[in-house]
Amino acid sequence: MGEEPGGADLLAIARKVLRRELIGLLPAERRYDGLMVANAMAIAGRRMTAGGEPEARELDRLGRLLGRDGTLDDLNRDLARTIRRGECADPEEVYRHLLETTLNNVRESNPKAE
Amino acid sequence: MSHYQRTLVSGGETDFRRLEGFLARRAGAETVSVIDLRPLGGGAIQDNRLLVVDLAGGPFAGRLEAVLRRDAPSKVAESHSREHEFALLEAAHGAGVTVPEPLWLCTDGAVLGRPFFVMRRLEGVAAGHRVVRDAALGGERATLAGRLGGELARIHAIMRPHPGLGFLAEPEPTPALHSIQRFRGFLDHHPRGRPVLEWGLNWLERHAPPAGEIVLCHHDYRTGNLMLDETGLSGVLDWEFAGWSDPLEDLGWLCARCWRFGVDHLEAGGIGRREDFYRGYEEASGRTIERAAVGYWEVMAHVRWAVIAVLQAERHVSGAEPSLELALTAHVVPELELEILRMTGEGS
Repeated sequence: MGEEPGGADLLAIARKVLRRELIGLLPAERRYDGLMVANAMAIAGRRMTAGGEPEARELDRLGRLLGRDGTLDDLNRDLARTIRRGECADPEEVYRHLLETTLNNVRESNPKAE
Repeated sequence: MSHYQRTLVSGGETDFRRLEGFLARRAGAETVSVIDLRPLGGGAIQDNRLLVVDLAGGPFAGRLEAVLRRDAPSKVAESHSREHEFALLEAAHGAGVTVPEPLWLCTDGAVLGRPFFVMRRLEGVAAGHRVVRDAALGGERATLAGRLGGELARIHAIMRPHPGLGFLAEPEPTPALHSIQRFRGFLDHHPRGRPVLEWGLNWLERHAPPAGEIVLCHHDYRTGNLMLDETGLSGVLDWEFAGWSDPLEDLGWLCARCWRFGVDHLEAGGIGRREDFYRGYEEASGRTIERAAVGYWEVMAHVRWAVIAVLQAERHVSGAEPSLELALTAHVVPELELEILRMTGEGS
């Protein structure tokens, strides 16, 4: 077992130092880069906290929608093809799945946009 | 000049003199000396530099402040070459659109390694987050929204056939279907499946408007590319995506939620009211905007921006061009996809 604090906690405290103490010291034309670094750390931290749970649920839903097993990559490619061909057996179910997957992604990538 | 040599020119002084030589020839000057050349912020796609030169002799004698815009090392399939962007700037400038004056194009890779052009520098601020928050920029905002409409109408007055724009593709069979085909082609070459974008593209296909009037569309006419000074619009930037299309496409792009920079209630780019923008456009163009038809192009705007973001992010993910900015672009995609789903959901 690794030491505490773990990854998400370390990212959070490092990001706090970056935002509160370091970004203000950057020359004006580099401040945006500092904010981008802070943003990347926030996304990585949220992903670590969420763990594999959202992707496991996505995989589960995809398996039920497509009636087969596979990797996330596989099944998403398959679903993309099915949608393009207009061959979704139950478009409403597909829509609900897409919405739930996308809401999870928004929560990780930019929760303010939800 | 050490920073300049480090970042722009691999071969040091020799290349530097080549640039001065090129400028002297094109400007008809006896001598040219570079006073400053440094990166300008913004633009994950293009490489923009502030260029300050002193020219001796010729019609440009004196100090010239300009922007040097060079091809990026890797290119997005959607965007034009510098040569074509220069032609678009010349067409817009000739039609009286407020743009940076295009000065000189160099397609000879020997001068700076890659093609570039030089345009006169404009004063002002374009950065989206500043424009929507600083009410002192751009003058009175209802007037500005109308002006943005009027300026777009001036761009849309450029029609086919145009002597300088023969390289632009015909949007066959219709502008909407042409875009849908192109985006599907890009997604076919993308390593991951994108079911939400396919969903959006199918919706766009089912609801595609019939062919109508076709004009020159800027294709990136939005907050962030509109330079403002304290009195109003000082210039329309970034012509690398322009092409023939349905005029409503540009209206939908400016009004799309993804370009409001968080100021959602001001539907014209987070800058002004949609109606003020529409009215400015209608007065200047003589066209009547069918209000309900613009929504289709707002869905198209989100799909298009999402496809471009996916392509940009892939430049980082594939290892071709490691970049924090490109990497973060991937994380804009989910909010675009959410908006696409909300606009195309039940009953849409």
